[in-house]
Amino acid sequence: MAKRSKTSAALPAAAPVASALALPAELTIYTVGELHPQWLTWLGAGPAARPAEGPTEVQAEVQAAAVEQVDAAGLQLLLSLQIALAERGRSLHIQAPSAVLRSGCAALGLGTWLQAQMTEGARA
Amino acid sequence: MSQMTDADNSFIQEALPAFISEAQEQIESLEQLLLQLEDAPGDSELLNALFRCAHTVKGSAGIFGLDRVVAFTHHVETLLDKLREGQLDLTPALSTLLLQCNDQLRTLVAQARDADSAETAAALTERAALVERLQAAAGHADKADAATEAAPATAPAPAPANTGSARCWHVSAAFGTETFRNGMDPLALLNYVRGLGSVPNLVCDIAAVPPLDRLDPESCHLAFELGLDTDASRAEIEGAFSFVRDDCGLHVLEPGATPEDYARLIEAMPDNPRLGDILVASGAITRAQLQHGLRTQNEAAAAGATARPLGEILQSTSGVSAQVVNAALNKQTKAKQRDAAPATAAALTGDDGRFIRVQADRLDSVINLLGELVIAGAGAALLARQTRQGTLIEANAQIGRLIEEIRNGTLQLRMVPIGETFSRFRRVVRDTAAELGKDVLFDIVGGETELDKSVVERIADPLMHLVRNALDHGLEQPAERLARDKPGQGKLTLSACHESGSIVIRILDDGRGIDRERVLARAWERGLVEDGVTPPDEDILKLIFEAGFSTAEKVTNLSGRGVGMDVVRRNIEALRGTVTVYSDPGEGSRIEIRLPLTLAIIDGFLVGVGNSKFIFPLEAVVEVIESRSGVSTPDACGRRVVELRGRVLPVLSMRTLYGLETAEPERISVVVIKSGSHSYGVMVDVLLGQHQTVIKPLGRMFQSLRGMSGSSILGSGEVALILDVNSLGEFAAGKQSGPTKSLEAANGGHKTLVRS
Repeated sequence: MAKRSKTSAALPAAAPVASALALPAELTIYTVGELHPQWLTWLGAGPAARPAEGPTEVQAEVQAAAVEQVDAAGLQLLLSLQIALAERGRSLHIQAPSAVLRSGCAALGLGTWLQAQMTEGARA
Repeated sequence: MSQMTDADNSFIQEALPAFISEAQEQIESLEQLLLQLEDAPGDSELLNALFRCAHTVKGSAGIFGLDRVVAFTHHVETLLDKLREGQLDLTPALSTLLLQCNDQLRTLVAQARDADSAETAAALTERAALVERLQAAAGHADKADAATEAAPATAPAPAPANTGSARCWHVSAAFGTETFRNGMDPLALLNYVRGLGSVPNLVCDIAAVPPLDRLDPESCHLAFELGLDTDASRAEIEGAFSFVRDDCGLHVLEPGATPEDYARLIEAMPDNPRLGDILVASGAITRAQLQHGLRTQNEAAAAGATARPLGEILQSTSGVSAQVVNAALNKQTKAKQRDAAPATAAALTGDDGRFIRVQADRLDSVINLLGELVIAGAGAALLARQTRQGTLIEANAQIGRLIEEIRNGTLQLRMVPIGETFSRFRRVVRDTAAELGKDVLFDIVGGETELDKSVVERIADPLMHLVRNALDHGLEQPAERLARDKPGQGKLTLSACHESGSIVIRILDDGRGIDRERVLARAWERGLVEDGVTPPDEDILKLIFEAGFSTAEKVTNLSGRGVGMDVVRRNIEALRGTVTVYSDPGEGSRIEIRLPLTLAIIDGFLVGVGNSKFIFPLEAVVEVIESRSGVSTPDACGRRVVELRGRVLPVLSMRTLYGLETAEPERISVVVIKSGSHSYGVMVDVLLGQHQTVIKPLGRMFQSLRGMSGSSILGSGEVALILDVNSLGEFAAGKQSGPTKSLEAANGGHKTLVRS
């Protein structure tokens, strides 16, 4: 908990972040088709579009408190987002993942991955 | 459940009833198989079928997220597997345990109906106790196993993992791209796999997941490496993936796989260069082991030996045991659908394709409509006759024939063999006999006899009571039997057969029979018979069906609470059936239940008396003879006699019986009716021929009317009453007073008569 409050304290310093992406309540095969273009737009609008930012890691904020349903397809989309961000030299920062998201990640063997996405911001 | 979507939930809500009904069938089969196994312990076909049933329940429960069922069935399955592998023998104690577990399973499946129902602490403790006993029983096998291993065996040593209670497998699963689109969710699947045992390590391999801009969000790129600590066999583990098997790269490594095996696994998946790292990360092997394995492999390759494909290795490695061979054999038999497969197994698994599941109420509504069609058809035929147009009459006759065929065909759909109901009693007999300390041989005859589904359902309870009664009161304790020169094992037979349009169910026992003296004494005591009056023998036996009668000296929890036999009789009579008891003291007793085949539509014989119409069930009509009124003088109840081929035939007059106040015509017909073993005649004015009769219940006012079992609407809209040949027969034989109510009241008000 202490870690996370530190994170949010560090937030203003983390600079030119586009508005945070809010994860929907349902992150499943039924919504991924809809979410994919939205997320791509969000990804394109992000600072990576300006390579001038250089090698400094830029955080992409994702609000994850609202997630109520997940399945493997939904989590794969989130994974893919993180991979795409990494390609652009940015890191994903998942804020306040809901219990469902946590348990979903754990069930899919992504517990450590999620942990990394939660703490990475603090490192930056 | 929390990870399910709304769509999943609605699918589950829709499919759940089907799951429950199928699971209940499987549980029923489980019970029958267990009971059959008691007679033939060690029958490998039965054991296999048993295992399959349990596995099916577990598998489908997993899909519905019924964790309790999955977890519990898993323990049952573990034990069954041990039995199947011959590591354990089915002792009576074990059989009892498994039957209890089956009951538990039945409860759990029933609870699945309302998913949110919280369990009581008592239920949890009960289940935990069962699981403990299951584990103890299965663990016992392990010890025995270890013992045999310790002994110098000539056979090759079994897989080392057998000594432990759980074995850690390694599962490598790369899901195909179509997985999501096929409606499968790896997340749910992994949760199911967890139900098999415990998963100490699980790594999601995300190497194949493309970045967002190159991702098709509905394609699956996930792969998993997991350790699985379980008692389940290879077939079961692979079975968990059966729904995605077609496009899933699945490799299951036996517990105790060597680093070389892992190395080959890595080789087998060339498009996944990171697999080695992942395996190390997942803790399946150490890096040193892996490198050693890879080195050995390379050296072998360098030496000219061609690397064998992984599948081959898996099957030839020392660790591969009987399970793999079994799985392969099972597949073969399934694929070839061998006719030679023993009947039990084939009956349980092979017939699936030839049946369609139909909801009973859909069928009922078809039958209701059919009833209306029959009535409307009769009406149309009547109108056609009135027009006197030959072609129209012919066309209507053709329609009538078709309706009759449809009627027969549709009613046939509702027919089910009574054997299913009968075999349910195996368990009752087994448990009850054990409880009472009696040894009973239970026999079923004529289980294939078919009758209407609704009759079958409603006869089960009365039968249950009669069976329990026979066990409790009829059959003696073994010592008592031996003292009377009878075999110590009592015999109870349940039989069914068709007899002149009705079905006869008999419950036979070779027990002590019914003690007439005691029955009579009790009847006097209870005031059922006037003190000191001794009715004829057969009437004494009938007293046991009177309300408030019970001869049991001690009240057991099985029967003897005095609420039994009269309720049984009422239930059977409500089905338009009769129950008769025969008994030879010391030799046993026989209870005969006679039921109509169907409750909906019968072939009737329509007759007229004055302005009223009556219908006899056609099967009961033997012949019709001509007579004249006033041949013999009627007695006080309007009964007469005629001579039929040298025998005296009692004849009833509907006029006197029901107070019809119309003049008797000069020439009358006597319809000869056979009821049970007796014949009697009924005087009628006119014969109106065969009539398809849609049975409607009598209005409440007329339900006390004796001799009537229902009513029917004729094509003309008139109401005809259906005669109950059995109760009329009793009256003809002079056993009971005639019907008391006047039918005249009914003639005025047809509408109130019929309750449809």
